[in-house]
Amino acid sequence: MTDEPLSPEASLALIVEEQEAARRRLDVDPGSFLIPWGLAWLVGYGLLFLRYGPDERVLVSMPQWLPLVTLYALLVAAGVVSGVIGYKASHGVAGESAERGVMYGWSWAVGFAGFGVISSRFEPHLPDAQFGLLMGSLPVLITAILYMSGGAVWRDRHQFGFGIWLSVINAAGVLAGPGWHSLAVSVLGGGGMLASAALRHSRRS
Amino acid sequence: MSGAIGLPELDPVIHAQARLRVVAALSALADGDRLAFPRLQGLLDMTAGNLSTHLRKLEEAGYVEVEKTHQGRTPATFVALTRRGRVAFEQYTEDLRALLGTGGEGG
Repeated sequence: MTDEPLSPEASLALIVEEQEAARRRLDVDPGSFLIPWGLAWLVGYGLLFLRYGPDERVLVSMPQWLPLVTLYALLVAAGVVSGVIGYKASHGVAGESAERGVMYGWSWAVGFAGFGVISSRFEPHLPDAQFGLLMGSLPVLITAILYMSGGAVWRDRHQFGFGIWLSVINAAGVLAGPGWHSLAVSVLGGGGMLASAALRHSRRS
Repeated sequence: MSGAIGLPELDPVIHAQARLRVVAALSALADGDRLAFPRLQGLLDMTAGNLSTHLRKLEEAGYVEVEKTHQGRTPATFVALTRRGRVAFEQYTEDLRALLGTGGEGG
């Protein structure tokens, strides 16, 4: 057993190293969620824009079902990746912050399950363009609210501010109409997430 | 700076390398959180027997709290620093800095 006391320098270095290693594995970096969600939005809403452009223009021809199916598949994948990241960090941790994280994680799952129910209920009753706009804007609204709540729970102004940003582009896109909404969410929402992930990364290294 | 006589004595419970690692890792938890034994073991890469031995010493000093519970039917052990353990760890870090002459200003 290597248990001889260390020199003060080595002890301090060991403390820093051990604390950093523990934090890396126990804390969830909110930035790690930005890449899967950013990609899902950039690609999913990007396809929606190209297939269902402003004034019902088809900018790039592709099967009608492709954009929404791609978007939802990518959103589900992003949800699964987020769940795995959250679980890996938080399993085996009990107490206040763990409860907070678990409840917050469930808010995402329950929120999006509710969205699934609403979308299947309204699909047969709305004209295509209106249905598309509703189905495109609800996930953004849910995500925006959850980012704002996450900011409140962890007192993280960046998260809160990003939630506000998403709310604003979502509302502006809905007002501008089908097509424009997809473009705004794809570039300013999804692209914004990827840009802020890149910014976080460059700041850390 | 005072001479060798005035230098702080390091807390012998924490100053053993393995226990220092245990305490440092637990100090990364948020206040009010506990860590499951297997995860702590994984973080530190120690054998279960070795970790248990050190935890017992830390528990005897009142620095950690070891809680045995059940999750469903499987027994689970959770470990956390006590308030006293946290204070002792902070004091230890401060003493190290004082020894190195990099402590804060003042006495």
